[in-house]
Amino acid sequence: MKTIKYIKALIIIGFLGMVVNACKKVEPSTAIDDKTALSNADNIGIATTGNYAVLRNPSYVRSGHFLMEYPGDNIAQGQSSSDDLSRCYRYTHIPTGTHATNFWTQAYHLIAAANLIIAAIPDNGAEELQQLKGENLYLRAMAQFNLVRIFGRPYTQGNGSNPGVPILKENATDIRPARNTVKEVYDAVVVDLLKAADLMTEQKANPYASKEVAYALLSRVYLYMNDNTNAIKYADLVINSGRYSLLQGGDYKNYFSGVPENNKETIFCIKYTKTQDQGFSAIGSMYYSGQGPDGTSSLTTPGGQGNTGWGEIYASRTYVEDLDKYPDDLRHSFIAPFLDNGVLQYNKKLTPNTPMYYITKYSFQEGIVTLSSPVYLRLAEMYLNRAEANAKLGNTQKALDDVNIIRTRAGIPTLTLATAGDVLGAVLEERHLELAFEGQRAYDLFRNNLPMVRNYPGTHALNNTPSTNIMQTVLPTDARVVFFIPQTEIDNNPKLTQNP
Amino acid sequence: MIKVYSQLNLDFRKVFFSKGHFLFRALFKIACCCLFALLPTLVSAQTTINGTVKDDKGTPVIGATVTEKGVKNTAVTDINGKFKLSLKGKSGILNVTYIGYKPKEVAIGSSNEVVITLDEDLNNLNEVVVVGYSSKQVSQLSSSVSVINGNKLRDVTSNDLGSLLQGKAPGVMVSSASGDPTGGSSILVRGASSISAGASPLIVVDGNIGGTYNPTDVESVTVLKDAAATGLYGSRAANGVIIITTKMGKSGQTKIDINSVTGFNKATFGNFHLMNSQQLYDYQKTFMNPDPSVLKNNTNWLDMAFRTGITQNHTISASGGSDKTQFYVSGNYYKEQGTLIDNGTTAYNFRSNLTTKLNDKLKLSVLLNTIYTKDNNPTRLFTGNALYDAYLSMPYDPAYNADGTPTDGRNYPGWVGRDKENFLQGLQYNFADAKTLNTSGDFNIDYAITKHLSFATYNRATLINYRDETYYDARTKDGGANSGELYNNSYFASTLLTSNRLKYDNSFGNHNLTLLAVGEGQKYHYDDQALNGKGLPPGRPIMSTATDIVSNPSGGVDEYNFRKYLGQADYNYAGKYFLVGSYVHEYSSRFGGNNPSGNFYQAGASWILTKENFMKNVQSINFLKLRGSYGTTGNAEIGNYAGLGLYSIDQSASYNGAPGAYPSQKANPNLTWEKMKTANIGVDLGLFNRIDVNVDVYQKTSSALLFKKPLPATSGYNYVFENIGSVRNRGLEINVTSRNLVGAFKWETNFNIAFNRNKVLSLDAGESMAAPGAQLPIAVGHDMNDWYMPIWAGVNPANGKPQWEKLVTDANGNVTKQLTSVYSEASASKQFTGKSASPKFTGGINNTFSYKNFSLSTFLNFVYGGYVYNDSRAYFDNDGLYDSYNAMVPAKGWTRWQKPGDIATEPQAIQGGNNNSNSASSRYLENGSYLRLRNVTLGYQLPQTWLTNLKIRSARIFVSGDNLVTFTKFTGVDPEVDLNPDVDNMSTKGVSSFKYPVSRKILFGVNVGF
Repeated sequence: MKTIKYIKALIIIGFLGMVVNACKKVEPSTAIDDKTALSNADNIGIATTGNYAVLRNPSYVRSGHFLMEYPGDNIAQGQSSSDDLSRCYRYTHIPTGTHATNFWTQAYHLIAAANLIIAAIPDNGAEELQQLKGENLYLRAMAQFNLVRIFGRPYTQGNGSNPGVPILKENATDIRPARNTVKEVYDAVVVDLLKAADLMTEQKANPYASKEVAYALLSRVYLYMNDNTNAIKYADLVINSGRYSLLQGGDYKNYFSGVPENNKETIFCIKYTKTQDQGFSAIGSMYYSGQGPDGTSSLTTPGGQGNTGWGEIYASRTYVEDLDKYPDDLRHSFIAPFLDNGVLQYNKKLTPNTPMYYITKYSFQEGIVTLSSPVYLRLAEMYLNRAEANAKLGNTQKALDDVNIIRTRAGIPTLTLATAGDVLGAVLEERHLELAFEGQRAYDLFRNNLPMVRNYPGTHALNNTPSTNIMQTVLPTDARVVFFIPQTEIDNNPKLTQNP
Repeated sequence: MIKVYSQLNLDFRKVFFSKGHFLFRALFKIACCCLFALLPTLVSAQTTINGTVKDDKGTPVIGATVTEKGVKNTAVTDINGKFKLSLKGKSGILNVTYIGYKPKEVAIGSSNEVVITLDEDLNNLNEVVVVGYSSKQVSQLSSSVSVINGNKLRDVTSNDLGSLLQGKAPGVMVSSASGDPTGGSSILVRGASSISAGASPLIVVDGNIGGTYNPTDVESVTVLKDAAATGLYGSRAANGVIIITTKMGKSGQTKIDINSVTGFNKATFGNFHLMNSQQLYDYQKTFMNPDPSVLKNNTNWLDMAFRTGITQNHTISASGGSDKTQFYVSGNYYKEQGTLIDNGTTAYNFRSNLTTKLNDKLKLSVLLNTIYTKDNNPTRLFTGNALYDAYLSMPYDPAYNADGTPTDGRNYPGWVGRDKENFLQGLQYNFADAKTLNTSGDFNIDYAITKHLSFATYNRATLINYRDETYYDARTKDGGANSGELYNNSYFASTLLTSNRLKYDNSFGNHNLTLLAVGEGQKYHYDDQALNGKGLPPGRPIMSTATDIVSNPSGGVDEYNFRKYLGQADYNYAGKYFLVGSYVHEYSSRFGGNNPSGNFYQAGASWILTKENFMKNVQSINFLKLRGSYGTTGNAEIGNYAGLGLYSIDQSASYNGAPGAYPSQKANPNLTWEKMKTANIGVDLGLFNRIDVNVDVYQKTSSALLFKKPLPATSGYNYVFENIGSVRNRGLEINVTSRNLVGAFKWETNFNIAFNRNKVLSLDAGESMAAPGAQLPIAVGHDMNDWYMPIWAGVNPANGKPQWEKLVTDANGNVTKQLTSVYSEASASKQFTGKSASPKFTGGINNTFSYKNFSLSTFLNFVYGGYVYNDSRAYFDNDGLYDSYNAMVPAKGWTRWQKPGDIATEPQAIQGGNNNSNSASSRYLENGSYLRLRNVTLGYQLPQTWLTNLKIRSARIFVSGDNLVTFTKFTGVDPEVDLNPDVDNMSTKGVSSFKYPVSRKILFGVNVGF
């Protein structure tokens, strides 16, 4: 019987042991403790990579693209869609719009994440850490700049006195800040970019920030602030750095289908790798649909809607007509008309019908139909920033020289002072042709106090009665030139005021 | 039969020895010793009684226990109700017991032959129910419980417990968002008291938390509702406990039962109708110019997507055993074809419950259950989802080509539908399948250390293996871009649990005392892997044929632990006065470093008045008991790492091929258990031996609510988990069972109804809403399910524009209501609608009629007073916004504005939409009340005389109908919505969106027992 007692005791002890064992600490496998995340230089490097990855989140790059490009006149939406992107295009915003909410949320998450790193690195730290600090300052400035141009009125209206967006600095404790003025936000962006340029010494590839990337964004920011001298200064610093060159001929025609970091013209892009294809949720899916319901036809030949993408946003008829002035213009490479037996096809959902000129700036990276690494800054813009600033400063020949660099590269005749007419107009027209679909057009018009005139078929006509009237004019003073502050943010932060 | 038993014992030995475990060997030794010790007593027989036990109809009672009073001497009746017992004592009295019958004491006369007739026990007060860590007679309970026995449970045919429970116990609210047989339902006991933590009751199978079971093997379901009952699971029982007890064999003749059901399911669309081509054309002509050629086709896409499905449910079970060893084994095959094409589930279930007394002191049980499930679930497909497409595809587009093949929206000339998609084309090749293997094994030992002290250990391992496969063929829209895609996901989950109990049980005169101490631990582990491929040849859904990948493989591990200690004292005086008290201490790894443990206590008391002398003369009242209880319970149903501050390092954090990390969750080291205080007062009343009434009144007040609090983006995070505020639920539950007629024609009615009122009492200091601006914002002073949104103010008669209420504050701060047709103004003026997603009351009525061998039962369930947000109307009823989606036929009473002066419910239809008229507002909030004829069953018991010669114990055939009629005003497919979704799907609470309709089923069945 002694053994039995022994066994009994063993059983009880054994089970009690199991009970105690159940209190081991557990940790997640796909996340790490925030206390160790920034504990050394290696970890800060990893966290900085994570901040670039935040850009890649569709809430930032895709929603941001809809907010920045769709209000323009380079594109035409051929049919109404249940997606909030229609409202971005038609200027029928609502405060609960998905894309504005997405972008706001993701941009501030990025800023807050960058702030944690900026606060963790002292200004006198090691060079490697200074570089990382500079990159995070750049990321913060870029997000803050995009926010202010989406939600705040153009700087040139009231010289920045209108409400902008909250500025979020490192070590800030108030998680419910009020809106700063547009000017305050621009000033903060400039301060960050100058410091970022100062701290960054490593020439990283174009998916990452580096000194010239900060300079390039400074050039754009100063141009938006109408500080033309500085816009020229920083464009010069980029152009003269020798790091970048304009792609020529065939290389230019294949600008968006190569490996992004091998592209000598791109200054900064948001990199997607081959295993990060977004398929029907990609930006390019709205612009293009290839052939091949059988899986064997060429995907680079335009096909009907729904094959490889939704294909419901097209190059506007106006844009194509402008491009068609010079049939040899290499920029035709970025437009792919959907032809059936040589006949241009139309989206027939609206009257008049919308011609289906597919856009390919967001397709075919490394041969994958819906893959792209959206380009945010490239060298051509630097020439055109400098041109616009010079035009405004009265340096008309210098302005035309830069425009002609771009025109020559596109394979079309150069302009002279005699033929150009209004030089600023010529610069803006060139920006329209060159930087189309890259989120610049609406800002180029409104910040220059010009109206957006859409006179081509598209769903904007549905705002009219009858909807066969395809004319839409949006004045730079229109309330809807900016988006509503997301309602959910106002609900959670009573200090935020709504845009009218 | 003897042979069978010895065989069984042999197998037992083989299994245990093969494991080579010292424990089993030791136990076996003990068992052998005891067997030898018992032998001499078994052979000292004198008088032998030959008896028969019958019921009041003269049918033999099989498996009744016959015990000689005063000594240890028991027999069990065989298939003919006969038993043989050699008397050992001197009392000359036999006690006969059988579940469902009143126990009987019979004095033995001079004859050795006796016939004992048992009376059916019409009140179930003597029924033994499993509560907490023990079993008790219903009459002795101090707490609020509902018991549903297996047969009542299984009138409806389903493989989901929730569907079976619906309407059968007061205060148990079952809701399911879908008629998809691969989906489940959610259960709420006495309303929701939690916000972000799971509000589902804790499931306990065969005495331990968690585990697996199949409805066919369920003996009974006990729902524990108040603190005294849920007490011992207290730490995790804030939302009630559902105890499932699976069947166990009874000593006596082996019984074999065969149950077989086959039937048909058809989708029901309620008041909802989509337009046909002509209707849609006529409607669209009022605001655009559809090409008349669209009228060439008139496709009813709902007909294309839905079919009559077949349901089959077949079970074979065997049970029986000796005094020492009892067993129950079963095999079940369940197959339900969904009404949606290609959708269905097939399940194979095996159970083996075995219990054996190794000696007087040591009892061993092994329970094994394996369920293999195969699901075909095309609603998981990314696009080409037949459910979504069936509602939205255009009747103008043809489903089939002239040659009978499905059309392809991508290249069909003039295809109108927005998504350029015919799901029939995709479903020829694409699929989304899943396989799950769910196994649980229990190993339990009960050991009587002394007469009064016992030790028990209950141990369980639950293992789940899951694998799914999603395939998009290169020939379809989804697979075209990547020349075919294949996705494989798999996971493995294990839960190990041990529960060890020390129990002291003694009586001192009229004082009866039970003390219990329990130590329990639980460990959970989960890991998953996902991988994919692209570039597969058409028709080859095989990973090895892939030529590249779409995205990188992924996977991770998830874990949690619980550890609990508890003590309970249970006292009663003379079976009249009852007192129970308990204390629980529990640790969970889910909470913050500062407060991972929680302490909970419970107390209950009850008094059976009918045992008092002063009640003896009140003839009309045969039973009266008062109950009261109070206690605290807890809730830990949040994510596994909710309190930690985290940087995500998964693939979403990687950039340009390098690993990264970004902040994903804000830390809250103080996060701790949600606690709930529950008070319950109840009365159980039996009248005229015919009517049983149970009434319960309760108040549950939860505090330190676990809440995923939304944060402004400027905080850097989406949310933080916090313990906030307090929510109160008050309610009344009534359950009445009445045996209206008890003669040859029997009629029994059960009626249950539950009222629950919910109110948010407080939140963080200074906050009036937990989720400001949300549709269910959880506001102080409101039901947490009160809808909050722009208020729809109908159509402006002058211009046909939509109108909402707008709040305008004047200079003096006075707020007035005005009307606006600008949605941005309306969305800045959200208000409470005065409507709640919570029903005012829910319940069910069950009537059973029987006459001779016929029986008929009807079961109705009802839900009253809740409002449903009919979200899909934004797509079907959108005033011209989506001209390439089909539209719904306007419901009764809806009118469309056409010209100035029209008083209408629907704004003017305009191509491209009318001023955001379909944006979220109270326009789509609808009354979700309904009354549903959930089941009607007509059965016929074949006469015993036909069967005896066939060696058949009993046989019954029946025809049954589920969900035959639903009465509702709801304009959508079905008003039933999920009121208790997952934490991550809170936005679907109370919302009806692209509903998978519930099925109307007609089933034919046969039950045969040998």
